[in-house]
Amino acid sequence: MLAEQRTVQAALTVPAVNPNRRRALTPWFFLLPGIVVLLAVGIYPVIYALWASFHKVDLAMLAAGTPFNGGQNYILAFFNSLFTGAVERSLVFLAISMPLELGIGVLLALYLHGTLFPKLLGVVRVILVIPMAMTPVVVGLIGTLVFNNQFGLVNYIIGVAGVPPVDWLGNSLMAFVATLALQIWQWTPFVTLILVASLSTVPPEIEEATVLETDSWLKRLQYVQLPYLLPGITAALIFQTAWIVKLFDMVYTLTGGGPGVSTELVSIYIERNAFRAFDIGTAAAQSVILLILTIMLSNLYIRYFYREAEA
Amino acid sequence: MIGIHFGKPPRLAAAAVAGVLALSLSATVSQPSSAAGWNLKDAAAPYKGTTINVVVLDRPSYTAEKALIPEFEKETGITVKTTTYPYESALKAETLNFVSNSNQYDGILADLIWTGTFANSKWVVPLTTFTGNPKLADPALDLNDFFPVWLDAFKWDGTLYGLPWDSYSGLLYYNKCMLQKAGFTSPPTTWDQLLTKYAPKLTNKSTGVYAYALQSLRGETQTADSFSRFLWDFGGSWYDPKTYVPQLASAGAVKGMEFRAKLAPYMPPGIVSDDHAQVVQLMAQGKVAMITEWSSFYTTLNDPATSKIRECLAVGNEPAGPAAADPAFGGFAYMVSAQSPQAKQEATYLFVQWLTSKAVAPELINKGAVVARKGADTAPAMMSKYPYLKPMVAQWGHSNPDWRPRIPQYPQMSEVVANYGSQIQQGSLGIQPGLQKINDEIKAILTQGGYLK
Repeated sequence: MLAEQRTVQAALTVPAVNPNRRRALTPWFFLLPGIVVLLAVGIYPVIYALWASFHKVDLAMLAAGTPFNGGQNYILAFFNSLFTGAVERSLVFLAISMPLELGIGVLLALYLHGTLFPKLLGVVRVILVIPMAMTPVVVGLIGTLVFNNQFGLVNYIIGVAGVPPVDWLGNSLMAFVATLALQIWQWTPFVTLILVASLSTVPPEIEEATVLETDSWLKRLQYVQLPYLLPGITAALIFQTAWIVKLFDMVYTLTGGGPGVSTELVSIYIERNAFRAFDIGTAAAQSVILLILTIMLSNLYIRYFYREAEA
Repeated sequence: MIGIHFGKPPRLAAAAVAGVLALSLSATVSQPSSAAGWNLKDAAAPYKGTTINVVVLDRPSYTAEKALIPEFEKETGITVKTTTYPYESALKAETLNFVSNSNQYDGILADLIWTGTFANSKWVVPLTTFTGNPKLADPALDLNDFFPVWLDAFKWDGTLYGLPWDSYSGLLYYNKCMLQKAGFTSPPTTWDQLLTKYAPKLTNKSTGVYAYALQSLRGETQTADSFSRFLWDFGGSWYDPKTYVPQLASAGAVKGMEFRAKLAPYMPPGIVSDDHAQVVQLMAQGKVAMITEWSSFYTTLNDPATSKIRECLAVGNEPAGPAAADPAFGGFAYMVSAQSPQAKQEATYLFVQWLTSKAVAPELINKGAVVARKGADTAPAMMSKYPYLKPMVAQWGHSNPDWRPRIPQYPQMSEVVANYGSQIQQGSLGIQPGLQKINDEIKAILTQGGYLK
């Protein structure tokens, strides 16, 4: 009986592991789930997209196979006026929305940083977080109600002021403006919060000294606060550029890319190409081009803003 | 005594009549047939406890389907789960299901324009696999009771892949009160009448009331409802049916798009961003006098909860063009996924066969569905109760199953038309250069697909 117990105990005993080896393995044990998830949802899709971008992959015609077609998908992408038009539209969207988000964001951040009404600060912060917390799909759907031609809130408000109703979502220019307005409304608070965090790194004694030196808030901003804001501005630029380049949900539910192609940003175009026309090969090539574009823009921001901050 | 005297029926005939009466009295919706000893309960016995997943849309026919599913489940012991998609997302969801082998759906909902894609890729099972199995095939299935154009629509290389369900024809819905007020006793029968006689009298921009609304949102709505509607009637077509040479920049196509542009002043602003729901609501709220919409929307327009114009609602044939009267043709079939295990495939077939059966059709129509069953759609009682049935059935007599091509390349072609078609309608692209772009790009797609050399 005792012998049997010993045998069972021996079987259950975990063999001793060298403590040094265990110590070396422990970090990997904690990192492993993250690495697996990253490989599955981050790295694998990128590798698949790279592979698909050099093959003819048509989901509706998979029976015909997926032959290697060299760089044909990239050539098609570069010479496709719809794709280049969508890229241009995204860049224009970025060029308009980004300065506005930054400008309003800086003003709001300065207000929050040196508010005359500190008791309201908590309320304002909550108000700022609400748009960010909303799902982009919901923002787009709310937009269809707000900008509705016949029953929308915006036309009601301008109607009270005697302005005739505007066809917000049926007119190319107005649809683009409505899309921009929603983007700025939702993401300016994000920029603001980043910049508020940056401003909180300015040493208080320096700020106090500059208040004694000059009454001009503009000079204080230019010479004291701006250097501390630049890392935050760089981060906001990178995040927002990546966000706008992949902006899909809100635009899709608001306008579907229309009317015509007036709000068809590049992510909307690629989705159509991939999952409506089922041309995965070309869509993958276009996605790779977009990835390269985003990396290039991010590098530019780091070179011109972040390095200036370091200097 | 007023009546018709039939004379004394022979005993055999009397017994038969009595038998039919007894059967019809005892039959329930969930027991479509007991002919030749076959009945649903026994046929489904091997699949009791099986769960099948079926794709449905957020349209009236599917509300009716979901209302009847519990009866099927009670009769068979098969559980039917549904996954609802908006139309524009359904093809993407089903295609990704197939290419990823995720096997989420057993009952595949196929628009007739997806037939080529699904059948060519062998994602769905030919129907003969089930109809040839006496254990599964209901002897009362009666394929001849389906309108022939609908069976043609779901054939690929001569093989039938699905049973028609949620079947539409484009109809002219009109507000007869508004028409009468403007001095018209009947709806327009041609597009020209609509434009020159009806539209000017029915449009009053100062009150926000318009003669006509054409759903034109970019996507399949632009391609089918807005572009194709004015293609065929004016002498255009997608391509030559024999040579596959595209005809989208032909004189007929140009005339059609020019006519569509002429209608614009009589339509509400922003129509290029309106989908079915918006246009139906404009009609339901009395903001437009006429729309051309699918037969499925009769239920919405006749629903007191959603429509202010029930008393004024009337339905007629789509207006004819100078070249043809080729009404919009669209609709669905349920198919069985080839990726499902055999038991699920068979259970799914039993469900599809039951849902599309002659016996269930009247109940479905009463609950708001549109079906392609001759017996139910042409029954005098049904026709008088549902005024959309008469024009729908009449138009199916001459509808073209290839009103939109059913080849696997259609999704790509539709994207091209939707893109340039909405730009043409919006005025940001000229009619002739726009149609030329459509023609050239579709030619490239057909060439790449091996249809053209």
